[in-house]
Amino acid sequence: MPAPSQQSDVRGEGYALPPGFSLRETRADGSQEYFLNMGPQHPSTHGVLKLVVRLDGETVVEVVPHLGFIHRAIEKMGENETFVQYIHLTDRMDYLSSHINNLCVCMAIEKAMGIGVPERGEYIRVVVSELQRIQSHLLWWGAFGMDLGAVSAFLYGFKEREKITALFEELCGARLTMNFFRPGGSNADVPENFPARVKEILEDLKFSLDEFDVLVSKNPIIRERTLGVGALPRERAINYGCSGPVGRASGIDFDVRKHDPYSVYDRFQFDVPLGKHGDCYDRYMVRMQEMRESIRILEQAMASFPGGQYRSKEKPAYKVPAGSYYANVETARGLYATYMVSDNSFKPYRIKSRSPNLSNLSAINEMSQGGKIADLVAILSTLDLIIPDIDR
Amino acid sequence: MGIGKTPPGGLPGHHDPDGRYLSDLLGNAGADAAMAAAVAGGGLPPIPGAAGSGGLTNAVDWVVGWARANSLWPLVFGTSCCAIEMMATGASHNDWARFGLEVARASPRQADLIILAGTIVEKMGSRLITLYEQMPGPKYVIAMGACTISGGPFYYDSYSVVKGADRLIPVDIYVPGCPPRPEALLFGVMKLQELIRKGAWRNSIVPRPINHSPIKDEMSETARLWEEKEKLKQEGMKEAQERFKADNPDFKGFVIKRIAAPKFDEVARVPRPARGISAAEMLAILTERFPALTVQSVPEASGEKIAALGSEYVLDAMVGRDDYHALVAFLKTDARLRLDFLIELTAVDWKDRFDVVVHLQSIEKGHKVFLRCALPHDAAPEIPTLTDLYSGADWHEREAFDFFGIRFAGHPDLRRLFLEDDFPGHPLRKDFQDPTRVVKRPY
Repeated sequence: MPAPSQQSDVRGEGYALPPGFSLRETRADGSQEYFLNMGPQHPSTHGVLKLVVRLDGETVVEVVPHLGFIHRAIEKMGENETFVQYIHLTDRMDYLSSHINNLCVCMAIEKAMGIGVPERGEYIRVVVSELQRIQSHLLWWGAFGMDLGAVSAFLYGFKEREKITALFEELCGARLTMNFFRPGGSNADVPENFPARVKEILEDLKFSLDEFDVLVSKNPIIRERTLGVGALPRERAINYGCSGPVGRASGIDFDVRKHDPYSVYDRFQFDVPLGKHGDCYDRYMVRMQEMRESIRILEQAMASFPGGQYRSKEKPAYKVPAGSYYANVETARGLYATYMVSDNSFKPYRIKSRSPNLSNLSAINEMSQGGKIADLVAILSTLDLIIPDIDR
Repeated sequence: MGIGKTPPGGLPGHHDPDGRYLSDLLGNAGADAAMAAAVAGGGLPPIPGAAGSGGLTNAVDWVVGWARANSLWPLVFGTSCCAIEMMATGASHNDWARFGLEVARASPRQADLIILAGTIVEKMGSRLITLYEQMPGPKYVIAMGACTISGGPFYYDSYSVVKGADRLIPVDIYVPGCPPRPEALLFGVMKLQELIRKGAWRNSIVPRPINHSPIKDEMSETARLWEEKEKLKQEGMKEAQERFKADNPDFKGFVIKRIAAPKFDEVARVPRPARGISAAEMLAILTERFPALTVQSVPEASGEKIAALGSEYVLDAMVGRDDYHALVAFLKTDARLRLDFLIELTAVDWKDRFDVVVHLQSIEKGHKVFLRCALPHDAAPEIPTLTDLYSGADWHEREAFDFFGIRFAGHPDLRRLFLEDDFPGHPLRKDFQDPTRVVKRPY
């Protein structure tokens, strides 16, 4: 018989927890804890995230995320590319908010160079950003349904999403990695039939959202699996730096579009949906409400869509004066910021992108403690993670 | 990054003029070579080990190939952007079930096709090899997107991206694009099915382990060769044009109408109004408590000087290492400021010093403040941690430690956040060099 290995002595004197774990063991009934690896290849981690879960039976004691399985060195690469060239790299961070990421870099360059944006350019920015937000939430909604075992949601969500994707393709030739906005406006004007297409999509979408509510929001199984699961109180959410729908579900009244408005967001009437409990169902409902608010913004923007030039005078490269510049936007996942440091050259000296997902994910240990392992899947799903945005 | 070595005769697959994707990948003799020859000849291959290759074995083989091609079980494997297009391929509009591909499996032990959707980085590389080894044969690999083909947009300057997944595992089909459209992926699947029907399969090939040797800039080499070819083509075109002119002396040439590029006027930027308390007020509150505090790039800052910088200016304060923690604690708790939200914490390497940069915001009032704290440029600069004030600072500090090697005294769990523990050096330092991982951009 082989000698028992050292590892099996879980409750012994010299036992050390794996890196990252800190909670002391409290159980006295003689049962044993065990560790479970989720990922990096796992269908519900939405990418290559690895979670090491400490379990007591089926109950989660502690969760330690491991990152870096898709760390692509984007910030280092940015130091060897011009400011405008950095835009295309932000497409590949949060690829479901690529237009909005592009916008953030453009805004930082505009701030540094004092470039203004014409009225039509600003409206294009708002319209495209809101369409992107709806598109991202639709994908999340489909993936959320699939994570909880409802494959139909995935098909319904993609059906609607594909319409917006087709519109983006007409707009900039790409379906996912857009590279559309430029300092001073956008790369191209919108096609002639754009307003009509947007209106058409919004009509379809309003009908579909009601359908989605019947299919999933009021579904007793979905409610059972999300109500009261993974609650994050407001103070803790602020302390972790949670933003976007995750923060708002916990009751943080913070939306960059409303509280630090950029572009022409201050011209439109819209509400910031807030949750009360910060549980999975609140996070779900906040996103569903947000889609409706985005439709409101789009309808107002399309009603007063101005003519004129869509961008201001362009330059192939910008020599940015020495100093540091900061711009922030609200992506589909929260506060995304670009911090760039220039030493008076065409290339950034240091460029940093603030990822909303990184801060949102860092609260997962507190959210999932005491829950069941199956709840962890629901929590991950309602955090709406994009791993390349975390790892950069 | 030096993962794997280029096999003799160039990289497999996309350098193969005959498109024999499954042929002589690792130069294996025996079954693979026989198969490659058979595939190239267009005939049906003999079953390895079967005595002779009579009509019956070929018929059986044909049936087996047909069955295999129409029931591929892909592994759910997506690392980044391409995964979304892979999902779109599976969903409503494109519906890969039409090609017998819909049984996507979460476990590699049940899958026979791995679609590499997204960039493979060094840390994922060893896991990818494990996944590939866990798949039962015969197994197939589709490299989807530019990243898995060559590193794509991350080929130059990236210290972590594997420059082509075929440096790790053998790849059968390459689908270019960034990301490829769903139609392109479906085309790749159809091509793979064609190969499988022809009888090409691979049972078990040992994947190449990660090999750290300086890497050659193959991309620039290819670009150079391409340019030479282009030059030859242009010369040929010139000859043809002259011949055409000699043959048709009456031809006047086409009238080319160019669309004039639109001209744009410059537009003046409208500054945004400030939120919360102004930068000048904040400076007054801070200097009252911390007189040693200075402002970045505003020497001898005063209220008027700061107010003259406009409403969009955010106070960029420089603080000494001794005051750093006390100042942040003051900013968080003071009733007038209430900067309770940590936007980000990062660092800048100035070659002679490090700046630790902290961005704070007040959720309630909306104002922001930026802080900097200079640290000496040595192997392990140290600064107090902020994790006791902001739980969210934990990962930001681990990231700064990972990238710059800055130590945060009192941090509960200071490990690297993204890179492997044995990664040499801290990559975002300006003096970081690693020819085994980084291909420098030639322009």
